[in-house]
This record gives sequence, structure tokens and C-alpha cells, in this order.
Amino acid sequence: MIEKPIMSAAQLGMSKFTRRQFLKYSGASVIASTVPVLSISDIVQAAVSKPLPLGTPILVVVTLYGGNDGLNTVIPFQDPTYYTSRPDLNYKAENLLPLSDGLALNPAMTGIKTLWDAKKVAIVRGVGYPEPDHSHFSSMSKWQTGSPKTHLNTGWLGRWLDTQPVDPMTSISLGSILPPLLVGSKNSGSALPLGGLIIPSGSFAKACDSISKPSRADNKLMAATALSMRNLFSISGNITPVLLQPAPLPDDLPTISGGNAGGDSNLTQQLNVVGKLIAAGAPTKVWSVSLGGFDTHANEANAQAALLGTVSTSITKFLSQMKASGRSKDITVLVYSEFGRRVKANGSDGTDHGTSGPVFLIGDRVNGGFYGDQPSLSKLIDGDLAVTTDFRDIYSTILEDVLLSPAERVMGKWNGRIKAIKAV
Amino acid sequence: MDLKRLEVSRLFHRFAFGPRPGEFAAALKLGPANFKDSLLNPPLVDLGSQKEPIFSDLGPRPATNSLAVKEFSQSLRSQSKELTIWWLNQMVLTQKPLQEKMVWFWHGHWATSIGKVNYSLPMLKQNQTFRKYALGNFRDLSQVMLLDGALQIWLDGNENTLKAPNENLAREVMELFILGVDRYSEDDVKELSRALTGYQVVRSTGVVTLNQRRRDKNSVAILGKSTVMGAPDAIDHIVDQADCARFLAERLWYRFISSSENMPKDHPLVGALVDRDISRGLKVLINSQDLLNLNNSIVKSPVEWFVSVCKALKLTPSKLDSFTKLNNYLDKMAQIPFSPPNVGGWPTDEAWLSPASAQFRIAFATWLVKQADLSDIESVTPEKRISYLADLLAVPEWTPRTSSALYDVRANLPRLVTLAICTPEYVVSQ
Repeated sequence: MIEKPIMSAAQLGMSKFTRRQFLKYSGASVIASTVPVLSISDIVQAAVSKPLPLGTPILVVVTLYGGNDGLNTVIPFQDPTYYTSRPDLNYKAENLLPLSDGLALNPAMTGIKTLWDAKKVAIVRGVGYPEPDHSHFSSMSKWQTGSPKTHLNTGWLGRWLDTQPVDPMTSISLGSILPPLLVGSKNSGSALPLGGLIIPSGSFAKACDSISKPSRADNKLMAATALSMRNLFSISGNITPVLLQPAPLPDDLPTISGGNAGGDSNLTQQLNVVGKLIAAGAPTKVWSVSLGGFDTHANEANAQAALLGTVSTSITKFLSQMKASGRSKDITVLVYSEFGRRVKANGSDGTDHGTSGPVFLIGDRVNGGFYGDQPSLSKLIDGDLAVTTDFRDIYSTILEDVLLSPAERVMGKWNGRIKAIKAV
Repeated sequence: MDLKRLEVSRLFHRFAFGPRPGEFAAALKLGPANFKDSLLNPPLVDLGSQKEPIFSDLGPRPATNSLAVKEFSQSLRSQSKELTIWWLNQMVLTQKPLQEKMVWFWHGHWATSIGKVNYSLPMLKQNQTFRKYALGNFRDLSQVMLLDGALQIWLDGNENTLKAPNENLAREVMELFILGVDRYSEDDVKELSRALTGYQVVRSTGVVTLNQRRRDKNSVAILGKSTVMGAPDAIDHIVDQADCARFLAERLWYRFISSSENMPKDHPLVGALVDRDISRGLKVLINSQDLLNLNNSIVKSPVEWFVSVCKALKLTPSKLDSFTKLNNYLDKMAQIPFSPPNVGGWPTDEAWLSPASAQFRIAFATWLVKQADLSDIESVTPEKRISYLADLLAVPEWTPRTSSALYDVRANLPRLVTLAICTPEYVVSQ
């Protein structure tokens, strides 16, 4: 039944706007056009003039939009309840990539299995927050603000940015819209749109420039419009060979069965750019990339496997790319989604919105293995998995052990930690 | 700021798709009150109405690699193209602009994407429903939407059965369509999904039927009412909630008045929607003082911008020199009709203002102006062209920055017009 309409898949799976909506829902007040927008050449220049010292920790956050089905990611294949709950949506044991404790990875995740075997993957099981919310918008907002109870206008990494010196290079999100994750009250991350920009030139450029000069008569949105045009012209046309190619159209991704909850669809390209910029010495400590399409209410198996394959391959390739740069030991990758899915499959070979799910930490600095308890398949809460680890445990750990910053200024008083990161 | 110009400009750009040449000046002369009347009471017969396309049922998708599948794919594409161009033409040419603006509003409200539906026929039917109920009663619209094939496909309603309830449709009915977030419990969603079980859709036509054997006929407990409910009863019960009027008011406010300022809690719009009568609500909105409040500016979405440029420059979408190019520009600016990014509908304001979209807007504008007949503007003496353009485009006023920038290029007509439609004053409904 899947047929491509005349629009591109990029258009159909387009996600930045979902992230934009999270901004609305979480009440965050950052304006897209006032978010510093960087060009590749800006970053490359900064990499030359003030490169990140080797040995500085780098965090790469991978957000999976749509609610990834955790039970078919890290699979409890020795639990008969798994098979009875999902008679038509299960993986046979012989196809899986076994880990330990009766758990196995989805067959598509061969790259991450290799990293697991090298003890570079921590899998935190049953991660969520109290009183799970089944709405994409609300749940993602809780994950990104790091505040499940009270609505905050800032993301957890945005509040970390507030503790750092002002520098638009400190944190960069791939794509033209900044996720709430990187919105602070003083500082915010920057956005790096993918694909070359074509800038008008000559007298026409001059004329365009003159209608976008600041004007005291502009209201807020007019000023934002003018600023977005000025930003266009401030980006130098002299784009370095780091990335000359325009963004490829991600038409190979299954946007159809999981395509209505947003998320970017070119993770491979995003991580490729991040890798090149890290290798070039970009002074950036936190990167944010994303993949959408995980809202698999129907015909889930193929769609999710294709997406997990992309996640696994692109992260593995990215980390192996980093070896030559001497920075692979500095990098920690965090992979999360706004919720897992219901244990019982629905009648459409898909799953509905659920609660907890696994979170991955990957890199040389990670103590490989399982953390947190595997939620029981028989002791469900309203048909959903229990939450056994609060995401604030992970965030606090990342702040202290990866970013080497005090967690309390970001998370408030929160005691939970996981011992997944090696001491520096 | 000349408040009369501001109000009439907002009426044109928010409650219609902008003026045709001469209409702004005429409306100013008529006065806002009379112009509002004409918006609310359009001619009975719409002489600009575009004949709806007639789509044959393409049937199920033939087997992969079969000979038939290639032809099938071509038919899908050509129907989808015809559908898009028909609706864009309708937006530009209709004599009932408020009705069409509401069709656009409902399209973003019950946001359904052809990306999952695939077939144009169900999408066309949904669009016809929006037009029929554009200014009607929200209760009626909600009941018809329950049986809308495209929506049922989009939210897996087809798969929601007694044996295995699928919550996708029920959740969005609560959160995005009728009540709004935080106005129901998780249990309400689960119970509603049971009440909505049993519908089946023919994907290629969007025909919805009720299969009694797949229906959950047990009692359900939704929002304080526990009884045996069919899906229509359940929808009625949800529309009955006082929160429904509040939610609708908020959504209308968000799209027509401001997506950054909150609607005042005691806004008369909520009361006007007591019977869920959309036209009564719109009348209150159109006549409210909110249209004179300088804080309530709003960014035109790319399609709104494109349609208003077509109207001002007397362009017809189907007559532009390449549909592929048109589709490509709309795609680059991230808004193709019938393809909202997700079930939450189109974004607003700053989301349309990235430097990347500024670049594409300039390229799009250049392409459009090249195809426009600029002789009317040419006949205006260069010194008067700047104020002529303000009226042509229903811009309340140019900032000194823009006046002087436009004045500098007054002799270069294509450049003058291209810049004018890319100015902050035009991209934003001030």
C-alpha cells in the first residue's frame, strides 16, 4: 500500500516542526530566527582559531521521535510472555543478537552489538518518569526539559549551557530549528541547517540586505523576519570543502507507518557532518541530532527494524570515523525516545503509546553492560511497563561524569545516579 | 499606525487570502464594518469556484514488480498533482474567501497527510467535507469526520477492533481535535478507543463501514459518563463538554489572532461557541478589538503567502510555467497542501522564518514575479509605486527602512515587486 506521492519524503516526514511544537507545549520562548544559525564555515573557522582541546568530553544526543518500541529493541526473548503478548509482532530467538540476562538486540542492530561486545555500550533498562504521559508532545517535552512534574521553559542541556561561558559554538543542533533540549534561560544552543544555502549576490543581494536591516518600526515578528534574512547574508558563500553536498533526500526511510509524530530522517548525514566537524576541532561540547518515524501504530516490524538499522549503522560508522581524529575516547553518545510502547501489540501489527524504554549510552568512556531493572512483562501497570529508572538519574550522571559539571545547578536536588561512565 | 488600515489589512490576510488589485482600497473606502459584512455574507453563488476533480477508484496496489504497478503509481501521482493544483486554484479564485480560509483551518486542525493515506480520492472527500462544514456546526463536522476515510486511515482507525483496540484516533480526538491536552485522563482515551472500534475503510475510496463483529459493544466510561455508547454517542458526549468550546476558541485564536499571545480566559469567543456554531464564533472574532491590538501579529504560512501573491499579481497556480517547480518551492518552504508534517498540523510564526526559508522565499518570489504581468504597476509613476504597492499587497504601512529600500529600486519593476513581497511587512500580517 505504500506509494510515494509527488512530495519528497523529507517533506512528509518533516520533523523540525514537531520539535517546534514541543517549544510551544513546553512554553519555551526561544525564537527560531534569533537562535544563532551557524554555517559550516563558521564552525570550521572556529575550529581553526579556538579548537576544542583534545581530551575535552563531547556529548552527542540522539533523539528518536515518535516513541521507539523498547521491547523490540532490547528484546526479552527468554520470557514466554513476550511471545504471548505479541503473537504477530515478535522476533524469533534464532534471529536475535543475544546480549545477556535473557535479553537480545533487534537483528538490525549489528553495529551496536559489536560495540556491546567491546564493552562500549551501556543499556539502561525501564527508563521513564513518574506518571507517564502518552502524548508525544507532552512526553517529549518532559524528557527534553528534564522536568516531569512542573513545566519548565528550559531544556536540561539548555540549563547546563546557562552555566557555561556565552559561546554559540558550545552546543549545536543539526537542522534549522532548535529543540527545547538546548534552550536555556540565558544561553541557547545554535542551529546548523543541513544542505548548502544559495545566497543571492550582486546588486540584488544589496537590495535584499537593505530590506532586512533592523528597523525600530518593526514589531517582534517583523524583526524576526528581517533577522532571518540578515542571517542568510551573514553566512559566507565561501563554504569549506568539509561539506559541499546538499542534503540528500532521505527517501529510503519508512515514513509511512510511523510518519506522523515528527523527527528528522537523515540521521546518517547529520552524524557524518558532526563527525567531520569534531574531527576538524570544532569547539563544541554538545551536539544534538535526531531521527523520526518511530510512531509505529501499524505494521511495525519492518519500519522499526529499518530505523534501528539506521541508528545502529550511523552511530557505529560515526564512532569508527572518530578513531582517526584522536577524539573517539572523548565522545559519549546518548540515545533516547519519548516513550516505549504498549506491551500488547494492537490488532494492526503495531503498538500503541506506552511508558518506559531502554536508553543507550555508547562510547569509549562507557562501562558497558546493563543498568536498571528490566521491567516485568507480567506485572504491568494499566497494560504498560513499569518505570524502573528515572531519566533524571541518567541526566545527572551525564552532567557530572561526562560533562564534568555540577548536576544540582541543572537538575536541582536529585540523588539518583548510574555508574555507567568511567572516571576520567 | 493607521488603525483602519491595520484592521482591514488583517481582515484580508487572516480571514481571506489577501486582496485582488483594487480590493484593499475599495474596502478602506467601504469601511471596516461594511467590509466585515461582505466577508461574512459572500455572494450565494461562488463564480470563482473551481470544478472539483473527478478521480476514478484506483483500487488496491498491484503486486510489486508487476506491469500494472507502474501505471498505478503514475495514476497516484497524477491524481495527487491534480488535487493540489485544484485546491491552490480554488484558494486564489474563490469569491468566498472566508469559507476557503476555514477549509484551510480545518485542514490544519484535523491534520491528515496524503503521505500515509496515499490515495487522492479520500483526501478530496475530506476536503469537500471541510468546505461543506467550513462555517457550520462543529458537532456536525465532528460526526462526519468520525466517518472520514482519510482520517480513519491516517490514525489507524481501520485497525481499531474489539480484540485489539488501537488508541491512535481516540487519543487525537481528545488531545488535538475536540478537547485539548490535559482535559481528559488516560482512562478516557482507552475507553474512547473501545467506543470507536469496528470501523473499516476501503483505502482507495475512503468509504467507511461499521463491522458489528469488530465492535466493542460493552459499556464504556468516558469523562464521567458510563454507559453503552456507539461511536457517534461518544463523539456527541465529548463535543458536549464545556472544554470543547474553550478548545475551539483557543484554536481559532491561535490561527487567526495570535499564536504567541494567549487568549484571555474570559474572551467572548468561548461563549459564542456555546452551540458549537462556527460562524457565530467567527463573527465575534472578526468584530473583536483583538484586530486592533498591535501585539497580535502573525506570520503568513508559505501557502498563505503564495496564494496572496497570486491574488495580488493576478497569477493562477495551474497556469504557472511548471507544476514541478511550484511543488518544489512549496516543498522547500516546508508546506505542501495535503501534507502536514504531523497530526498536530502546521507550525506557526517563527518556525517559518529560518534563514533557509528566507533564501527559498526570495527564489520563489523571483520565479513568480517573472511570470506576472506588471503593466498596472508600470503605469504608476515611479515615485508613487511604493504606496501603490502597500495598497496592492494590503500592507498597513512600510517601515522607513523598507520605504527607502524600495524607493531605491523603484525603476526596476521586477526587482521592486520581488523585494516588496519578501519584506517583513508582507511576510508578517502585522
